[in-house]
Amino acid sequence: MSRVLAVDDEPAIRRLLAAILTRGGHEAATAANAREALALLARGGIDAVLLDLGLPDRDGIELVGAIRAESQVPIIVVTARSDVSEKIAALDLGADDYVTKPFDADELLARLRSALRRAESNGEARPESVEFGPIAIDRARHEARLNGAPVALTPKEFAVLETLTEAGGRVLTHAAILERVWGKAHVADVDYLRVAIRALRLKLEADPSAPRLIRNEPAIGYRLADIA
Amino acid sequence: MDRRVSAYGLAALGVAAVAWLTSAAFAWLGLASSALLFLLPVLLASARGGIGPGLFAALAGAAAYNFLLLPPLFSFRVHSSDNIVSVAVLALVALVTSRLATRLKEREADALSQAQASGEAAELSALLSSGDAETAPGRGVGWLAAHYGAALLLDRTVLDEDAAAFGSLDLSAAAWALHNGDATGHGTAIMPAADWSFIPLAPRGRAGGHLLAVARPASGTTRGEAQVAHLQELALLLGQASDRAALEREQHERERVEQSDRLRRTLLTSLAHDFRTPLTVITGQLATLSAKSSEAQDALRAARRLDRTIDDLLAAARLEEGSLALAPESLDLVDAASAACEAVALPARIALQRAIPADLPFVRADPVLLHHVLLNLLDNAARHAKTHVALAARAEEDRVTLAISDDGKGIPEAERARVFERFARIEGSDRHEGSGLGLSIVKGFADAMAIAVEVGEAPTGGACFTLALPRAEGPAP
Repeated sequence: MSRVLAVDDEPAIRRLLAAILTRGGHEAATAANAREALALLARGGIDAVLLDLGLPDRDGIELVGAIRAESQVPIIVVTARSDVSEKIAALDLGADDYVTKPFDADELLARLRSALRRAESNGEARPESVEFGPIAIDRARHEARLNGAPVALTPKEFAVLETLTEAGGRVLTHAAILERVWGKAHVADVDYLRVAIRALRLKLEADPSAPRLIRNEPAIGYRLADIA
Repeated sequence: MDRRVSAYGLAALGVAAVAWLTSAAFAWLGLASSALLFLLPVLLASARGGIGPGLFAALAGAAAYNFLLLPPLFSFRVHSSDNIVSVAVLALVALVTSRLATRLKEREADALSQAQASGEAAELSALLSSGDAETAPGRGVGWLAAHYGAALLLDRTVLDEDAAAFGSLDLSAAAWALHNGDATGHGTAIMPAADWSFIPLAPRGRAGGHLLAVARPASGTTRGEAQVAHLQELALLLGQASDRAALEREQHERERVEQSDRLRRTLLTSLAHDFRTPLTVITGQLATLSAKSSEAQDALRAARRLDRTIDDLLAAARLEEGSLALAPESLDLVDAASAACEAVALPARIALQRAIPADLPFVRADPVLLHHVLLNLLDNAARHAKTHVALAARAEEDRVTLAISDDGKGIPEAERARVFERFARIEGSDRHEGSGLGLSIVKGFADAMAIAVEVGEAPTGGACFTLALPRAEGPAP
């Protein structure tokens, strides 16, 4: 059982988050502001943080950076704002994922699971193979499998799929994928990524015009959905 | 003038004094020294009075020298070439001295007027830079009026008004100065008969909307070229001060607008926050309850609709204040459509059909705004559909169309033009669940992204909304 800290200045939201966490099999801790949150984190024993960006005592984005500077604890940003740049800023600073209020409980728990899985595998050496949902990536043999059947991919397609699979359901920003696959010089070339994603969908999706596996987050990035 | 007269008097007096001295002391002085002494009144007269008194002293001196000292005494007859030389030398000394003296005096006068001019410029510029920039031009004109008589600051409106202070010639001169940027009117080469001098505040060759008008001197004298040049310098100082004042005004205005924009944004953001926080609690708790209760399911649907309405209200506010910040990029319509389809919870009875070709060109749009447009169109279609909602994309020559249709009652042709109006109520349509804003936001956002949106009839008889999106430049997929 993991212990999850929910940080929100609204008592009703804290209670809601605690109820959802408990239902999801986690132990819930709560904090009403940044000061309390940092104090609880310093005491240790927190496995993940659900962080509201609109806290009264400190800028939420800045707090993401402050927590990340101290620890690798998974952070899921919970925001009432539809501001895309804020979400990207939080992800860039090391947040694992985000949900927008009003959020869906199942979606929140799925994001939390992905983030916790990332944290568990963090300490280990880069494994020979990674799996997520129907996708299995064998790094040594440079091979991708869909539901066990090998799929022929170009090197870039393979690299994009490998990156998404490693993230294990967490959202990755366009810039993060572009930097990893094409290098720092191409972080703004979203076209490269769109071409590769379309090619991947043709090879992986049952209906490429109604994709279920590779999900788009408008203006932010892509994630894999667990459709196993 | 007085100085001239007194110089002639001085010359006469000096010559008389030297004549008396040399004739009295001739035995002791001798001819050569006496002749030299006659240089003194010439030097004095030409230095003080210039060439006239100088020559007068030279001639008078030569005559006295010849008459009193040169033999034959008391006669003007000239005996030897020496005497002619004495006269010539005296005249030459008068000439050279007066030239030198005149030039010196001119320099002195120049230096004096320059010192005065720069003193005035310094005084004016100190006055303009001290205190409030807004009132500086007014203070400067007041100072000019105190030093140069009536002075006014004019702008283009003077030409339109019936300005009592100016005659028609003055107005013509003012118009010339405004259009061509020359100094005109009294004291200048352009329309010098005018009663006022008109001097642009901007440097020559730069368009400026303001003029300094200075009345003809009250003493009745004519303003000289140098004085006009000096006024031009002072006018430039005034021009700089009024530029500064204008800049400061602009800055204030900008700050005011920024502040009110900031306030509005903060208000909108906090409004969204204030609505969403309770809505999160409501939907969150209802979601738990809805597993067991169909009433809770209804309430949950209503709460989700409320959330969409808040999105629409915020979007409408942003459209209204014109604060849409577009960040267009190249997009795959498959991405855009699938994100929208995932976000719209279609009732189970309604099927979603998607037909998007695998080789569809990318389009250019703002991903966030396009998402909102598609959400609203899907939401609208879902509310009117009987059994299905269909999405169909097609590449055309320079654009990509995306049609979203339903199999509902459709929109009567006569009503189609009004469908994008806010709170439009379409005859015979069942709109009880819509915010009345959705389609107006579709239109507003689409217009902002240069996406054409049309409404027509689907093959099933339902409504069909078609977006025509510009193709993205760059690599084809």
